[in-house]
Amino acid sequence: MTDSTASAPKPSSSVKLVLLGEAAVGKSSLVLRFVNNDFQPNKEPTIGAAFLTQKCQLPSRTIKFEIWDTAGQERFASLAPMYYRNAQSALVVYDMTKPSSLVKAKHWVAELQRQASPGIVIALVGNKLDLCDDDDPEDEAQDGENAEGHEEEAVRKVSTAEAKAYAEEESLLFYETSAKTGHNVSEVFTAIANAIPETSLKGPRTGAGGGTQAAISGGQDTSRVNLNARGADGAAKEGCAC
Amino acid sequence: MFLSNLVQKAQQYIDPAVLPASLVTATTTKPSKSVLFQQQFHLPSNQNPLYEITAELTLPTRKASSSKSPSSKQQQRWGPNDWDKGADGKGTHYVGQLHLSEQYLCFSTVNSSFVSTASTSASSAFTGRTHGTGTAGNGFTLPLCAVRRVERLHTQSYMFALSITTWNGFDPGTDTKPGAPAPPKLTIQLEGSRQQCERFCDGLKRGLRQGIREVENMRAVAAECYSEYFMYSDFDGPSPTTKADGVTPRHLPDTGLGSIFKYPGNSRKLRDRSKMRLWHEYMRENGRNTTLVRQPDFHRLIRVGLPNLLRGEMWELTSGSLYLRLQKPKLYGETLKKHEGEESLAIDEIEKDLNRSLPEYAGFQSEDGIGRLRRVLTAYSWTNVDVGYCQAMNIVVAALLIYLSETQAFYVLSILCDRLLPGYYSTTMYGTLLDQKVFESLVEKTMPVLWEHLSGNDVQLSVVSLPWFLSLYINSMPLIFAFRVLDVFFLEGPKVLFQVGLAILRVNGEELLDATDDGAFISVLKSYFARLGESAHPKSENPKHRAITNFQALMVVAFKEFDGITQHTISEQRSKHKAAVLENIESFAKRTSIRNLGPESKKLSTNDLGFLYDRFYTILYERQQRAQVLQADEDRKRKASRQRATEIVTGVHGNGAPEMGRVGLGPSTTEMDYDAFREFLAGVAKWAVTDSPSSPTSANDPSAHKSANGYFHTLRAKPSQPSSPWGIGPEPAEHEFLRRLFKRWDKEVKSSLTLQDVVAGLAPIKGGRDIMGNISYFFELYDNDNDGKVDREGILRMSEALLFLSRRGVEGGGLLSPSPSSASISEHEEGKRRETKDEQFLSAVSSFIRRCFEYADPDHASRKAEMEANGVAQQVDLLGLSNGDESAGSDQLAASSSSTGDVKDDSVLSRPSTNAFGQVQTKARHVAANAALDPSSPVHITLPTFRMLVLADEPLESFFDSGFANSFHLADAPLPSSTITSPTFLGGSSSTASLPNIPDIPAMSPGGSSGVVGGAGAGVVPPGKGLRGMLDNIVTDGMRVAAEVRRRMDEAQKELDKGASTRGTEDDDDDDGDEGGRDLLEGAEADAGEGRRGTGVSREPSLLDQPLVEEPKQGSSKEEVEKSTMFER
Ligand SMILES: Nc1nc2c(ncn2[C@@H]2O[C@H](COP(=O)(O)OP(=O)(O)O)[C@@H](O)[C@H]2O)c(=O)[nH]1
Ligand SMILES: [Mg+2]
Repeated sequence: MTDSTASAPKPSSSVKLVLLGEAAVGKSSLVLRFVNNDFQPNKEPTIGAAFLTQKCQLPSRTIKFEIWDTAGQERFASLAPMYYRNAQSALVVYDMTKPSSLVKAKHWVAELQRQASPGIVIALVGNKLDLCDDDDPEDEAQDGENAEGHEEEAVRKVSTAEAKAYAEEESLLFYETSAKTGHNVSEVFTAIANAIPETSLKGPRTGAGGGTQAAISGGQDTSRVNLNARGADGAAKEGCAC
Repeated sequence: MFLSNLVQKAQQYIDPAVLPASLVTATTTKPSKSVLFQQQFHLPSNQNPLYEITAELTLPTRKASSSKSPSSKQQQRWGPNDWDKGADGKGTHYVGQLHLSEQYLCFSTVNSSFVSTASTSASSAFTGRTHGTGTAGNGFTLPLCAVRRVERLHTQSYMFALSITTWNGFDPGTDTKPGAPAPPKLTIQLEGSRQQCERFCDGLKRGLRQGIREVENMRAVAAECYSEYFMYSDFDGPSPTTKADGVTPRHLPDTGLGSIFKYPGNSRKLRDRSKMRLWHEYMRENGRNTTLVRQPDFHRLIRVGLPNLLRGEMWELTSGSLYLRLQKPKLYGETLKKHEGEESLAIDEIEKDLNRSLPEYAGFQSEDGIGRLRRVLTAYSWTNVDVGYCQAMNIVVAALLIYLSETQAFYVLSILCDRLLPGYYSTTMYGTLLDQKVFESLVEKTMPVLWEHLSGNDVQLSVVSLPWFLSLYINSMPLIFAFRVLDVFFLEGPKVLFQVGLAILRVNGEELLDATDDGAFISVLKSYFARLGESAHPKSENPKHRAITNFQALMVVAFKEFDGITQHTISEQRSKHKAAVLENIESFAKRTSIRNLGPESKKLSTNDLGFLYDRFYTILYERQQRAQVLQADEDRKRKASRQRATEIVTGVHGNGAPEMGRVGLGPSTTEMDYDAFREFLAGVAKWAVTDSPSSPTSANDPSAHKSANGYFHTLRAKPSQPSSPWGIGPEPAEHEFLRRLFKRWDKEVKSSLTLQDVVAGLAPIKGGRDIMGNISYFFELYDNDNDGKVDREGILRMSEALLFLSRRGVEGGGLLSPSPSSASISEHEEGKRRETKDEQFLSAVSSFIRRCFEYADPDHASRKAEMEANGVAQQVDLLGLSNGDESAGSDQLAASSSSTGDVKDDSVLSRPSTNAFGQVQTKARHVAANAALDPSSPVHITLPTFRMLVLADEPLESFFDSGFANSFHLADAPLPSSTITSPTFLGGSSSTASLPNIPDIPAMSPGGSSGVVGGAGAGVVPPGKGLRGMLDNIVTDGMRVAAEVRRRMDEAQKELDKGASTRGTEDDDDDDGDEGGRDLLEGAEADAGEGRRGTGVSREPSLLDQPLVEEPKQGSSKEEVEKSTMFER
């Protein structure tokens, strides 16, 4: 089972990724953008956490992300350990227009560094870049209706420098994204994929006693879909745009 | 974590025999009989089992003539005469237990006993296998208000038999207007001694009389049940609404959104009409809604799935929410009205989820549906603010609303959250996590191979199963199947969720064994859920087998194969895992909380923050426990007159508020009021402990109660003084300084502190180690109007606070800063050093006052009139007061300043302060000439002045440099007494007692102590007590200090008398132990005398008070107790 090279041209492995962050920072939107290249109000009631998968093609290998998108409400935070357990990577998201969300993000970073698998790859992501006036104008506004995107009050409240300095201090990957425009979204996941050490991909996932990680070749695995029974489109589409 | 340790330890140490019974039950985990009774019959928490008796229920079978023949339908009307008499031996017989509570008469074939003599395990027998009947078994749960008549049957036998006629509150109809069939008479034969029977009947009569008042209520409640409408017509006849007979159609009850937007599923395929016919028949024979009798067919009809129009009503009935609605029929409407227009966090959160609650159902694409959902969730969030709103409730309520009116849904939601899914939706969701643990352990037990496979592949089962439980399968299975699970769930209880969950895994076992990661695991189950409606045996030759759906097969596995999973199993597993789950949550909550305490918190170490967190929540938790115990005692007393106490005492636990305040359970409060704040400080700073505890000794000290019955009697005599108890920790002092500190920490002026407030308040003191910062911090405490000035009054209060803070000694200079606990009794060197330091401090404060006035700036004379009080006299008093009494209080200060006459002498003030070596530290200055002392000219000092004065004086400087900060004992140097909050001390060596070398206090009145004003905080100062408080752990040194204090005071007095002026040094002969002792005694007496005379403020003894001093010696507790009681009156 461990030998995957026989069936696939490129080695392929799954990577468990968990999204953490304050409610409404855009976790689910980021995942939706990454998995379906779409942005829409979240119609899916998330109980506990939503599960989605997406592949990411790297030059040398394929990474299949198994994504746990944790629920938004504050009290569900007690459940988070259940989801970040054994995660090899994490996306800690804050909302650039809301400083308190960065505080929360720092908390999650500390929590992961202390409680999650050692060696977990953490990316700090400031989302809703499209709401910040000062960002580069070349942001491709993919949605035609950009009207409500630039409200006057919603301006950047967390500076790039501040977040970046913190990320460097804690050795985190750092990106500023917009789930709405798609800016930098796939870059985050690619960067995580690249940062996952080869070694942690080969064998079974961290801490597993006996079993082995079935390597799945690219493209055929379309059955991995959202946890919720109804109303979900198949989540696993073509490989991401990386 | 430590909170749970604490509870465990407390349990070890508490001797149940000596504590108020309610306290014991509050800490036990076994539910009381009342709770078991309520659970069995799904009754509201105000019902208690009053009487019970073995009985045989006989139900009539219908006469052959009126058997179901569709041809006779038009004329059918059911009246009492259509029934065979049950008593003649025909009919169906059930033997079981008949129970009477305040408002209900219940009968169940599941034999369990709730009488006081029965063991709790006998009472909980019903949690075993119920064979599909649910916990209440066959029988009935009859509100007494639904009983129309009870007759004593005089049958041929000598037996005691009752015939009960029930009544739904509706007329059975007239000749022109058909009514609903009358429910059958119930014949009950009581089996017991004549006396028992009579007693039961007397109780019944009383209850029935009371019940009359409820009849109107019941009519209104029943009118909302579909069965009331349904039963008025013959099933196959035209529907009553469509009848064109001129009679106003009966009110059609609201049967949920389904009646408007269609019920899910194909009703033909669900065979809805056949089911309705069967129910019609069943209810004709067995009554409806409140009067329904449960026979085996009832349970069978539920198992096959409820029909759309009756589903809601049956959910209400089987969950018991109907009885809750009967109890408080207006609660829903009134709650909404009361909070109309208000806002809350819960409401914001609800609003976000309204559009994603079963969005695929048409009803929730409409304003009507969304509005109902909003109102039900909002109303519940107001009735239970601790839970508020939790995601997943939206889905559950949305599902309920398809079959229930919004009012009904509200009560079902209450039953769900409060009884069926305890803790699921709480702020920590501990119930959810706990049941996931329970589920995992059941999987491990029943499917070890699968379990091995899962853990081998590192798949965590609960990430998959959690949504099943949290949203009752509604979001996992197609709706029609989820509703069928709900049908059984409401009847049989939470164990159903586990049985179904286990069955799902069992049925998919093979495929799951191939899944090696979360993704594969999830997709196996998802595709299974999608196929629930398909044939389980599609390839079978037998068409009957082919007709069996996956869902039916699942139900068979759930209830046959996992029949052994009973409510008892679940309870057992829950209590097994509870501690671990709570610990996990609490350590997570603690980490989270500590990381989110704001920037100020960075000044404190993680250890200190952890320490503060623990103390903060321990105090809140303990205070709530105590309040609850007191409340329970009150309740018990109130009820005791009506019922035998033994039946009631156990009623505390589980009556809606089992354990409160524990972080893991979702703390019911996260803020500390002033009293809690005092209690908190008393655990971290010695000065915050009172010198005059209101309760003489610890209630939990076994030696105390064994050796001193007298004491224990006082405890018993006042078991429930609501304001008294300070728990097992030291009793806090009351002092103006504490109030100022509280006010300063209470930044948002809400009269309560969050943990963040406490941390932010302490951080500048503890964290900065910055003398300038501490000086201005202190100054600002007294700068009432923030104008950078502290007036005469403030100066005096400052000085007084300094004395208050130092009355147990000033702690660790910056240089050594030894852990105070390690500066132990044995170290004489340390003791000596401390002693002299304390003295220095006393003199420093006195010279501080003097110099304050020397350097004070005059105000622009404007408030002369207000400053009539004699400033100098104040100062004199102040010294006398503060030095003489360790707990000098502001009230007394104020009182003394107005009462002291015209003594005008500044000699005390001009006494130079000395340091330990007898050197004169500062020049004596005459202050007589200082204009600042003229009371008629208001003065103030500014921060720079204050700073200068502090820095110019070594003891004060050192106090602000380190002493003040060190007086707060956090993690690195905890107060030995702070551990008092831990019940380890309950057994304790700590017994207060133990100061054998304090000589007896002679009861003689000292002469020259008129300048002494009685103890603050509490007028009564038991001398031994006050001293012990003051001495902390260095008894002898402390005595010397006190002696010194006293001597100075006397001297000051003498000098006042003499009118003498300055004198030289005289304070350095203090190592004369004997003399010190004598003076000490005088002083102490003086205190006591004054105290008695002075204020009359005395607090009730606390239940569990534990004095601060922790001396390892034992044995003198008796003496202690006697002494204490002396001052008790
Ligand atoms: N303008 C803007 N809005 C966003 C962006 N990402 C998310 N949102 C909006 O923020 C809200 C919360 O998003 P959601 O993905 O549900 O956040 P989650 O609670 O972290 O999962 C939604 O209204 C989204 O439409 C973004 O990049 N730009
Ligand atoms: Mg989300």
